[in-house]
Amino acid sequence: MNVPFRYIQRQTIVHRLHPFTKMIYVLLTLLLILIPLYDIRHLPVLLIWLGLSAALWAAARIEVGRFAALLKILAGTFIFLMLAQGFTYRHGKTVLIKFGDLHFGGSNVGELTLEGVQLGFMLSVRILTAASSLPLLVMTTSNAELMAAMNQLRLPKVMTFMFVSALSFTSLIFEMWNNIVDAQKLRAFDIDRMEPITRLRRAYVPIITPLILLLFRKANDFQIALETKGFGSPGRPTEIQTLQMKPIDFLAIGIFVAVFILCNLLRFRL
Amino acid sequence: MSGMNEMKNTDAIVKLHEVTFTYEGGVVALRDLNLTVRRGEFVVVLGANGAGKSTLCYLLSGIIPHIYGGRRTGEVQVAGRDPWDDPIYITAQRCGVLLQDPEIQLFMPTVRAEVAFGPANLQVPREEIERRVAEALALVRLEGLEDRNPRDLSGGQKQRAALAAVLAMHPQVLVLDEPTSQLDPLGRWEVVQALHRLKASRDLTIIMTTHETDEVMDLADQVWVLEEGRCVLAGTPEEVFAQPERLEAVGVKPPTLAHVWIHIARQSGAPILGDGQRLRDLDVAQVAQQAATLLRQGRIRPRPLPDSVQPPSPARPAVIEVQDLVYRYPGYPPVTALKGVSLTVREGEFVGIIGQNGSGKSTLVKCIVGLLRPTAGQVRVLGEEVRRLSVGQLARRVGLVLQNPDYQLFTISSREEILFGLRNLGIPREEAEIRVQEALRWVGLETEAEIFPFRLSFGDRRKLAVAATLALDPQILILDEPTTAQDHRGRYQLAELARRFREEKGRTVIMITHDMELVARYAERVIVMWDGQILLDGTPEEVFGQTELLHRSFLRPPIAHEIARQLAAFGIPQRVLTTQDLLTVLGGWP
Repeated sequence: MNVPFRYIQRQTIVHRLHPFTKMIYVLLTLLLILIPLYDIRHLPVLLIWLGLSAALWAAARIEVGRFAALLKILAGTFIFLMLAQGFTYRHGKTVLIKFGDLHFGGSNVGELTLEGVQLGFMLSVRILTAASSLPLLVMTTSNAELMAAMNQLRLPKVMTFMFVSALSFTSLIFEMWNNIVDAQKLRAFDIDRMEPITRLRRAYVPIITPLILLLFRKANDFQIALETKGFGSPGRPTEIQTLQMKPIDFLAIGIFVAVFILCNLLRFRL
Repeated sequence: MSGMNEMKNTDAIVKLHEVTFTYEGGVVALRDLNLTVRRGEFVVVLGANGAGKSTLCYLLSGIIPHIYGGRRTGEVQVAGRDPWDDPIYITAQRCGVLLQDPEIQLFMPTVRAEVAFGPANLQVPREEIERRVAEALALVRLEGLEDRNPRDLSGGQKQRAALAAVLAMHPQVLVLDEPTSQLDPLGRWEVVQALHRLKASRDLTIIMTTHETDEVMDLADQVWVLEEGRCVLAGTPEEVFAQPERLEAVGVKPPTLAHVWIHIARQSGAPILGDGQRLRDLDVAQVAQQAATLLRQGRIRPRPLPDSVQPPSPARPAVIEVQDLVYRYPGYPPVTALKGVSLTVREGEFVGIIGQNGSGKSTLVKCIVGLLRPTAGQVRVLGEEVRRLSVGQLARRVGLVLQNPDYQLFTISSREEILFGLRNLGIPREEAEIRVQEALRWVGLETEAEIFPFRLSFGDRRKLAVAATLALDPQILILDEPTTAQDHRGRYQLAELARRFREEKGRTVIMITHDMELVARYAERVIVMWDGQILLDGTPEEVFGQTELLHRSFLRPPIAHEIARQLAAFGIPQRVLTTQDLLTVLGGWP
């Protein structure tokens, strides 16, 4: 199984942007979704920002399949949110489906309401907006550039390296997870065909336990590999790569800020 | 040993005097070591698993005591300092270390960044780092791959990138802990070539632990052999490799060329080495020529080779039928791992599948056991289409023992570990208990039934994985790389179990391996895979005779078979596949 959101080496305009520029885009995305956007009328605000993200994904020539993978990962959460809000939203008036009267905490949880589903939908779109920005940063910025950028920010060496090595470890964890699942399937442990409840109850011990034990071992080897490369040395490491902001970065930041302001204006006019 | 102690110490760069090391748990790993290495020497350290080789590496590179604790007595000096007294980053500037697993040593996004990581941490100026990176990559022949992600490299390239990263720190001593043990034949060859270049081009002292004596015979200036932490043999390759029986006794495989050379010299009464001759310089042609001379002179006479086991008749039922199998890994871009593979395996066969990493061996087996669903084509096991069978139904038919047992072990005892699969199949408790006992007995772990699996040695953990598979009573047993991380003694344990399984139960065995000697010894049919296709399929004799095709897939027949082929004119049978076969046929006095 491929790690869906690892760095993809390409020569595109997005790849060439300074990591700071892309970090600003991520930061603005997170700020946008912190604004209260619960009403379905605010959907265009999020769609505009999602449009910007889609343009960036396209400019970075990232395959549609990767975005589909992101949707697949989040689909369960979206369905849960819409159902949970649909049944529990206390201000829901338009009943879509009624299973009965079951009043709890000020709402009738026996009814699925349109307003509740819409609230769940808006929460889902906000999550999607946030989730589409970070992979873009990770997929278009190499770890070396991230390290260089974090060094420029004068962040502590350990923090920088922990962040970057966590990204590296992700692919290792994916690989180990798949190997463990395969090994247990070979012993007639059919996790794929289990009911969700059974899976939660039974399936994860035979998978998580070896994963944790292996991770402990790998972490030890990793420490050896790091320390024997002088990682514990005092002082800041030599900066191999120096990054500079170019006119295209300022232009991009200008566009991001302009779209952000537009979204905010729209939010308060709708 | 005595030769070592008499060595002049004026240019000694590594010295161990009366060194004993005990781990925190109380295990004594090294005992009374007295060893000296001179600047520029290449020292090969041999020994069975648990002999203390890795501990020695850790001690020299400062990993002990700074990461692994313990108690040491005696003196250690590496480039004039005791690694015990300095932090690792100081020792690392004098003594670099390369570990077995290349994956864990590579953590940067590009090869260039990886190699620059060490010197950058040591605050070496940027221009100097760039110069060192270029120099190190040239030495390991990875020029042009500077911007590649190390994770996308082949196994051999990864290990060479890790080696370059160590070299860029400009150590005076390089410690290599079984650097080729996890690589395929091509990867091993690439790393060994890099070591040859290093030896020739730099005033670098190299200490390397290994089980692969054939690979390092011509590299070594000194050889140390450890047993239970003690140095039991030390000297030049001529001194050490001239004692094959002694090496065998301590669990070390004598290099094939030296072993055969000494054997025929002894059999014929000829001197082992002439003036200026060195064991480390021997090659296949020289050994074959010497044997030919002695055969021609009648000083040795070929002995008959016992009859080999006859393969099962083609009339036996097919247990695996693969038809035009295509498998494509999804990705960006997708990778086609199998390109129309067709094969039939019959009941009772012992099949060896060989090929480089990425040739499609593992993908083929994963399609057979149902872990992967074919993109196109058909796989039938015992007459049933695999895609129609559940994982449980397949587990009763085919058992696959993976390379790394640690991916499956998770319970508190060996017994529970075996019970896990039986419970998944819904086997009644009483019958399951009987099967557990039988499986443990089969692999020789009956006294370890209540032991926590992670307390077992790696070899025993693999045996436990085999027991867990055999308890499911499969009709077909597949072993994936049964010799991985095993020493000379443990190397054939799993294959022996498989052979018994086949002979006593009449079942089918398939082995995926890079080990030519293993295939030669056990398989009666060999399948060579290359680029997602079957390149060769036949008896070992037929396959190993196709040297050109094997060469194309970066494989080499066993050395003993290569020698035997050159001696065909003297009546040496072409069925000679293993070192043991060759020693047997060249064993007789006239």
